[in-house]
Amino acid sequence: MQRFIAIRFLQSLLALWVMSIIVFGLARLSGNPLEVMLPIEATKEDYARLEKYWGLDRPLHEQYFVFIKKALHGDFGDSLKYQGRSAMELVTERLPATLELAGFALLVSIVVALPIGVLAAAAKDGKWDTGAKIVALLGQSLPSFWLGIMLMWIFAVMLDWLPSSGRSGWKNLILPGITLGWFQVAVIMRLVRSSMLEVMDSEFVKLARVKGISESKVIWKHCLRNAGIAPLTYFAIIAGGLLTGSVVTETVFTWPGVGLLVVDAVRSRDFQVVQAVVILFAGIFILCNLLVDIMYAYLDPRIRYQ
Amino acid sequence: MPLQSTRTMPWYAIPWVTEGWARFKRYPLFALAILLFLLVIPAVFAPWVAPHDPFMGSLSHRLTPPVWQDGGSMGHILGTDKLGRDILSRIIYGARVSLTVSLIAIFVGGIIGTVLGLISGYFGGWTDSVIMRLVDISLALPTILLALVLVAAVGPSFGTVITVLIVLLWARYARLVRGEALAIKELDFIARARVAGASHARIMYRYLFPNVVNSLIVLATLQVGYVILLESSLSFLGAGLPRAEPAWGVMVSDGRELIVTSWWVSMFPGIAIMLTVLALNLLGDWLRDHLDPKLRNL
Amino acid sequence: MKSKVISLFAGLLMAALAVLATVVPDSIQAATIKRLIFASAGFHESNHFWTISRPDHLQFEPFWETLVGMDPKTGHYIPALATKWEISPDFKEWTFHLRKGVQFHNGWGEFTSADVVHNYALTMSKDARMTLGPFWRTVAEVKPIDRYTVKFVFKTPALPTNLYAFARSGDLRMSSKAQWDKEGIAGLDKMPAGTGPFQYVSRQTGLNIVFKRNAKHWSDNKVDFEELEFRIAREEATRLALLLSGDAHIGDLPRELHKDALAKGLKRFSSSLPVDWISVYMGGLWFTTGDKSFDPKAPFVNKKVRQALNMAINRKELLNTVFAGRASLAYVSLYVPDSEGWNPKWESKFNELYAFNPKKSRELLKEAGYGPNNPLKFEFWAFTEPGESEGPAVADALAIYFKNVGVDAQVQMQDWAKIRATYRKKKSEKIMWPNIIGWRPSDIGIKDFYSTKGNNHHYEDDFIEKAYGQVAKSTDLKERDRLMRSIGDHMQAEYADIPLFWFRNEVFASPKVVASWVYPGPTAGRSSHFELVRLVK
Repeated sequence: MQRFIAIRFLQSLLALWVMSIIVFGLARLSGNPLEVMLPIEATKEDYARLEKYWGLDRPLHEQYFVFIKKALHGDFGDSLKYQGRSAMELVTERLPATLELAGFALLVSIVVALPIGVLAAAAKDGKWDTGAKIVALLGQSLPSFWLGIMLMWIFAVMLDWLPSSGRSGWKNLILPGITLGWFQVAVIMRLVRSSMLEVMDSEFVKLARVKGISESKVIWKHCLRNAGIAPLTYFAIIAGGLLTGSVVTETVFTWPGVGLLVVDAVRSRDFQVVQAVVILFAGIFILCNLLVDIMYAYLDPRIRYQ
Repeated sequence: MPLQSTRTMPWYAIPWVTEGWARFKRYPLFALAILLFLLVIPAVFAPWVAPHDPFMGSLSHRLTPPVWQDGGSMGHILGTDKLGRDILSRIIYGARVSLTVSLIAIFVGGIIGTVLGLISGYFGGWTDSVIMRLVDISLALPTILLALVLVAAVGPSFGTVITVLIVLLWARYARLVRGEALAIKELDFIARARVAGASHARIMYRYLFPNVVNSLIVLATLQVGYVILLESSLSFLGAGLPRAEPAWGVMVSDGRELIVTSWWVSMFPGIAIMLTVLALNLLGDWLRDHLDPKLRNL
Repeated sequence: MKSKVISLFAGLLMAALAVLATVVPDSIQAATIKRLIFASAGFHESNHFWTISRPDHLQFEPFWETLVGMDPKTGHYIPALATKWEISPDFKEWTFHLRKGVQFHNGWGEFTSADVVHNYALTMSKDARMTLGPFWRTVAEVKPIDRYTVKFVFKTPALPTNLYAFARSGDLRMSSKAQWDKEGIAGLDKMPAGTGPFQYVSRQTGLNIVFKRNAKHWSDNKVDFEELEFRIAREEATRLALLLSGDAHIGDLPRELHKDALAKGLKRFSSSLPVDWISVYMGGLWFTTGDKSFDPKAPFVNKKVRQALNMAINRKELLNTVFAGRASLAYVSLYVPDSEGWNPKWESKFNELYAFNPKKSRELLKEAGYGPNNPLKFEFWAFTEPGESEGPAVADALAIYFKNVGVDAQVQMQDWAKIRATYRKKKSEKIMWPNIIGWRPSDIGIKDFYSTKGNNHHYEDDFIEKAYGQVAKSTDLKERDRLMRSIGDHMQAEYADIPLFWFRNEVFASPKVVASWVYPGPTAGRSSHFELVRLVK
């Protein structure tokens, strides 16, 4: 078991290292940050001076070495765009906003998806199954920026119930939360529905029915309790989807999270920030995968010895 | 049937209605109809169906509302966009663009993913480890960010967008196929084939592959919608298809700031995306229930 | 549960209907406000002003002042932190007399000549990348004469047009030396002190900057509101929503949305003077003798092609549609009527040489060897930068005009960094791109864009090279004017580019909140003079 964990851990580190090369290379490939950072009046001397100042004139492998050495100490360098701030500082400053949004979106999607999934399973192929499925699928059928803008128009401008954008209170969370969460509704609904169907077929549910427990109690208590676990297994994938989706949602609602930060960073070739965000996100994802694998190995001894 | 009895029966109990409903339920007719009329027919017959050149506009006819609103004209049934291009024609041609892009991306991504997945699952060991870590990396790449950086690097074009999509898609196929291959390769008939002297390639192609085809079809169907949406998100972030292309995503993203007044510019392509993706999702769900009920985590 | 699903569905349907009906919202609040919120497309957020290009000085406008001010109505240079200034006859020494008794915010003491020396030193930092950096490097020394007098000594003559560098249109901001000495750069990052009508309160990157009113400002102007916030919203739809919902009170909107914004009851506030010009540039026009990048076979090298493309465009229609009628024709790029070298004859000449004439355009293309079988083909690169969203719309529209004369221009959205790298490195011979450029004195514009001394290579040839060389050396204002006119004449006759329009800075505000606002436009932040925003009482 320890050996398995050690190997998987090493592999994860390796994966992260490959990631660092990919993101470093892609960032450099995307062009010279000076083209964005310098005013149009800048002379050739300005270019040369700042290239030197930022170390952009050094050979790529040297730049990479500097980057990886610092990164190992948790330092991703100073932001080129936000002068006077370090990349890590910017990311940690923005992360709470993204986590808040993603967390709320997850809550929204579970609250909507769970009953729909259960209902759909309880009356498979019925009118409600179809209707609920369509509602859930609608979220996956709309481009999220479009949905966001529409929600903003309806609830902030026309009805004036909620603030249109920004982050100053819980009310600001509602529209971006729904925009981001709705996309996940269908994913969670599918998971709940299929695991419900499975559980409803199992012996103990049949037994419960035979015992004369009311159908609604069977479904909402006995089945749901067991079926509810399934979405947890896919938590990593859902979380990944939420983090990626936050890029678009944050842009629409000017929610000052990591997604908005990184879109700006890519546009201004703020290499340090791009690298910090991508590696951090990838690190979280790879770590989640590692934990899931270890958990599985723990639960299912066959995997260990393969 | 006696006239009287039909009166006492509710209208929906008339046999052909109930039978029709039952048949309707058996096949995803709604989904198929939408796909046929919104995607397939326009894509194939675009030059004959579209009333105007989708690229040509005239600024003096810009932002003409749809025909049923004040100021609309029969010439432009769904109105015109900022440059006076006919929206209906662009949606019709857009079906072609969306379909081509997603089919190529899914096809190529699917092949790469399937081959790697088969190899990974069949051989196991370090091959499996390497490929699965590649899958991890690919899934761990924050997808949209990768696309943004890549487009910034090489500029937007069909090639770039399709490449981005392939990079995003293949890993899911690899993971799916590997999982199935792992399970199937332990079965008796594979062992028998091996004893009979079949080569690895042959076993993978003749014995493993046919057993994963159903799952692949389901995944691919569900992904067409995903790809169409992804393409529109890329356009929104400024990393989509070339601007003049009548792609639905480009159109929605282009008209997004006009939602208040010239709502038709982004609304109609938005509805086209919505219906198509909805139909594809329904079809995918239906296919899964019928072809491959054990797949649930897509 | 069922009823929940029903209501969800019904809600969705109603929402869709509501949008289709496009009800005019009436949620703009009329109440008097404490905090005025300005919605901006965004900028490089940092307090290191020596690293920030000019349009992004918007974030400093409220709290950091400049030596010379700008009249909001006429754009004339007026006293600000300096009450008067003198230029020596050889244009090499500029003396500024500072206003006495001006206090920095947060008790950082009086503004003196030491602060001027300190801030000039910042513009020379290793990481400095200011818009006017090249100009500041021609300064040999900044000498404090006494507590309230300071002298700038130049290496080469600095002509009076350069006063714009010291003014609110320039980028030399006056921060506090006392604070820097005590707190270093950390103090500047956290709570920078200025002398402006507002003082810095806080900044949240990606979201906003907040200022509060400085009751002790040296001017006798009284600001109508307690706090000012710049809210960043990159998305145009979001900014419009902010304005219409009353979540913001003033904001930038693209010209395409002007009609809609007016129809929804917002009020437009234009700058007093023109701010930016938009021209479309054709790559490969490097005619200077001995230029190794020059390719005689590049498509735009043929003057007939350049003329044909210019004549294919219906500028009037473009002006009235994409620019909502809010621009004026540019006869020669970068010149306005009070620029050095302006020629009043350019207008009539323009009508003769550039007027919309698709037939003539097709003929010229035919003479240049293009026809239906081998159409002229090139890529048209467009980009969007915050606040400059018209680029793509112009590219799209021009592509259609070009198509009309048989030219195949393929519009592509490119990232600004890529466009810039391409033309700067002279790899642009087969592409065309629009550029929106801020006002500057015409000699500086020629240097930056039309001479090999600049770094942009938009059009270069021996004539301009020679004439500009003479301008750069001359201190005879009459002679300079003549030379600058000859350059403009030459650019017009050679079809050096596709000049389109000049436009003002235009912002929208809720008429229930903002009563009036006058601001000049060509300031370093485009929108400026927020202290003059008058609220509805």
